[in-house]
Amino acid sequence: MEPKLEPIVETFKSREKHMCVKGEGLSIPVCDKASLPGTVTQRTCVYGGARIVLMPITDSIHLVHGPIGCAACTWDIRGSKSSREDLYKKGCSTDLGEKDIIFGGEKKLFETVIELRKLYNPGAIFVYATCVAGVIGDDIKAVCKKTEEVTGCRVIPVQSEGFQDHNKTKGHWIGCDALLDYVIGTREPEKTTPFDINVVGEFNVAGDFWGFKPLLEEVGVNIISTITGDSHVDEIAQAHRARLNIVQCQKSSNYLAKKMEKRYGIPSIKVNFFGLEQTVNSLREIADFFGDPEMIERTEKIIESGLAEVEHKTDEYRERLQGKTVALYVGGNKAWSLVRAFEELGMGVMMSGTKNGIREDYERIKEAVRDGTIIVDDANSTELARLLKKYRPNLLISGAKEKYIALKLGVPFCDFNHDRISAFAGFNGFVSFAKEVDASVSSPIFDLTSTSLRGD
Amino acid sequence: MHHDKRMTEMHHDKKFSVVNPSKMCQPMGAVQALLGLKNSMPLIHGSQGCSTYMRFQLTRHFREPIEVASTSMNEKTVIYGGEYNLMKALKNITEKQSPSIIAVASSCLTETIGDDMAGIIRKFEDANPDKELPVIVSISTPSYTESHVEGYNGTIKALVENLAAPTVPNGKVNIITGFLSPADVGEVKEILNDLNLEGIILTDTSENLDAPLSESALNLYDGGTTVEQLEDTANSLGTIALSKHVNSAGEFLEKKFGVKLVSGPLPLGLENTDSFIRSACKLADLEIPESMDRDRGRLMDAMVDAHSYNYHRKVAIFGDPDFVSSMTLFTSEMGMIPTVVCTGAKSKRFTEDIETISKEKGCSPVTLAGGDLYDMHKAIKKVGTDILIGNSYGASIADEENIPLFRAGFPIFDRLGAQRISTLGYRGGIDFVDRLTNTILDFYYDEAGYEIVEEELEETLIDHQKFAEEEI
Repeated sequence: MEPKLEPIVETFKSREKHMCVKGEGLSIPVCDKASLPGTVTQRTCVYGGARIVLMPITDSIHLVHGPIGCAACTWDIRGSKSSREDLYKKGCSTDLGEKDIIFGGEKKLFETVIELRKLYNPGAIFVYATCVAGVIGDDIKAVCKKTEEVTGCRVIPVQSEGFQDHNKTKGHWIGCDALLDYVIGTREPEKTTPFDINVVGEFNVAGDFWGFKPLLEEVGVNIISTITGDSHVDEIAQAHRARLNIVQCQKSSNYLAKKMEKRYGIPSIKVNFFGLEQTVNSLREIADFFGDPEMIERTEKIIESGLAEVEHKTDEYRERLQGKTVALYVGGNKAWSLVRAFEELGMGVMMSGTKNGIREDYERIKEAVRDGTIIVDDANSTELARLLKKYRPNLLISGAKEKYIALKLGVPFCDFNHDRISAFAGFNGFVSFAKEVDASVSSPIFDLTSTSLRGD
Repeated sequence: MHHDKRMTEMHHDKKFSVVNPSKMCQPMGAVQALLGLKNSMPLIHGSQGCSTYMRFQLTRHFREPIEVASTSMNEKTVIYGGEYNLMKALKNITEKQSPSIIAVASSCLTETIGDDMAGIIRKFEDANPDKELPVIVSISTPSYTESHVEGYNGTIKALVENLAAPTVPNGKVNIITGFLSPADVGEVKEILNDLNLEGIILTDTSENLDAPLSESALNLYDGGTTVEQLEDTANSLGTIALSKHVNSAGEFLEKKFGVKLVSGPLPLGLENTDSFIRSACKLADLEIPESMDRDRGRLMDAMVDAHSYNYHRKVAIFGDPDFVSSMTLFTSEMGMIPTVVCTGAKSKRFTEDIETISKEKGCSPVTLAGGDLYDMHKAIKKVGTDILIGNSYGASIADEENIPLFRAGFPIFDRLGAQRISTLGYRGGIDFVDRLTNTILDFYYDEAGYEIVEEELEETLIDHQKFAEEEI
């Protein structure tokens, strides 16, 4: 038992242990518990988790089997960019009504799938189960199988009933399972090379993937598929032939990489293309994995020219950002993968937390942050506001729901989530990252927010 | 109905699926209504995603923190029923937030498993006889029937049913706003002020959803309609439901307490604002003040200034039913031609309204009630439009058709100032006419003020494309 004189912020007794300080005691907060009913949780549902993983598949229709709300609130919000189709952006729903709830929604689902196939001829139709679809017991798998037979189009069930778990991580896994069970391994590549890889857990938010794709191509690997940013379903179908999986978002996709290793013997390495140092390390690790001397030499040259290209481009920003503090409160991966990138800008991470972390996530955060950093799990909106007010970081990195909590308190904010507009990955991405962080932290408006008309 | 033939034409290739919805679910409507209550905590009894995704949509529209609690249902609690989670949620909110009112809206999940929310709330109240509890209201909002519009309507009705208590006449008028921008709610309040009439606004989002920079994120909303005002609705002179689709609370008050109800129209445009002011003054037995003539004259002046740019411009409109129908009338007043009008709600009242307007103004728009943006886009392709009025989801259609999108409605997430979009009353109307016409000027007129003829427009477009291709 660790004696704690004062809680990190005032909250429910049962929530106090969900926050801790690195270097004190275990340095791992209590985590992976159901949110307290009645709080304004920042978490979402299992359906949300599955959708987030699969939605960037651009040539596919993503059909939400449920009442209209589940699709209406979530269509076209992923921020994933496409270089080809934009089918994935459509908000498709079976719009279940009262009759369907009473008599079952399978027939409507069947007709809807057939109709969407006719309208769009997509690479695949992913069918997402929502809470109600689960409760009324619709056999989505059976309908998918039948419609696939009728249409000849891939129709893939995603058993993502929203209430299944308190943690959307389960939704990530369900999304990955849909790919493992119905997509990966269903098509053979025309040719293979000794340097075939998959880029796993990269969703091309704001075009991030395009920030390091050219680097990978220069290194000389052959990308079979990205799972799932800017991808086609037929590409993912060939993923089983890769020699290596590189995993960018480890939170959502380590599960997939591990399963692919077990099933197909494909090893994986964790990469991180946020920040210069991490980009360099990631490129080296990929080259080292293949052990090809020419590739290793080429990679060093790429690194050299990549670093040279951006060498002084962040100086101006770093000067202003030096010594500023940042709080991270994110879905998972960014809670550790961004820490070094901020340190490269001269900033210190004073708090890091996730909404859906499991123990292994907090182990990684603990490794990444310095002593004295606050680590929080599943902070609700009141706790987050209190944390920001009490510890006043110079910047909060989080998502849309947290944005105005920070801004109202005069804490600069930077969206690193779906609504982000610049790509941050790779060498040039780091410059955009620095620029964007500077635009938030150094804006003169935040000097004015604490002033008053009456001058007190 | 005259438009049936056209409607079925539009639907012939799509009967089952909704593609790019133009409606949301009932709990969203409930939350939209509840955000205008003072010191309240809206609570969704369902999965976490319901409250979280609604907050996501609302926060990016209003650019304000949005607080909606969840009972965080999960597998176990679904199997055994939601009583434990709901009781726990009420306890936690009461103890930590001490709001004046907790409004609990159901979801498809908890409706389907059959939770008796009112019973559970009673049980909670009975279990805490010594505590000072907030008012707790149960609202049934099954997501699998109707749309967010009915969710809003049912919420106001539930609040009034639970709370309205006759005491002494108050000389006030109840205004059920429907889901409006805070600026529009503010304008309605201003008009009442000008009329020297006190109103009870159901609900008043004008402050909460357009709040100053402050530490408001730390507290419950401190603006909005109070519990006392909700109680007092039984004592009012009358109720005006600005939107016909949200008048159920008014019907209840009329039936139960004899509070006279006027349903619609939304005071959007010249004639509709006239009706609103007339009915408000009639209810309160007031003379129309002269300041109204001045504002009305200004709106007419703005419409006259703009007329030559707007005349016979085709317009397509989508959004909530009363917004679309009154916008159809307003744009017709301006000399524009509504060609496609679409609402997500399957509403007979909507089609009737459009028919009346069409007859009166000599237009015949394709009318989609219960339509989605796929249907609307298809109709636009067929009958054409010069400008689209609706929310941000219209952007890709506008882009594809090379027409401007005039943003109004919900959600607007790709421009600033959604909370300050003003369309109601004479003053809001002036603002709207100016901005709409400027949008037309920006798009269809050159820098010297000459109208760009169609071929030129196409040429410019081709030039742009060529330029873009060369750039690549």
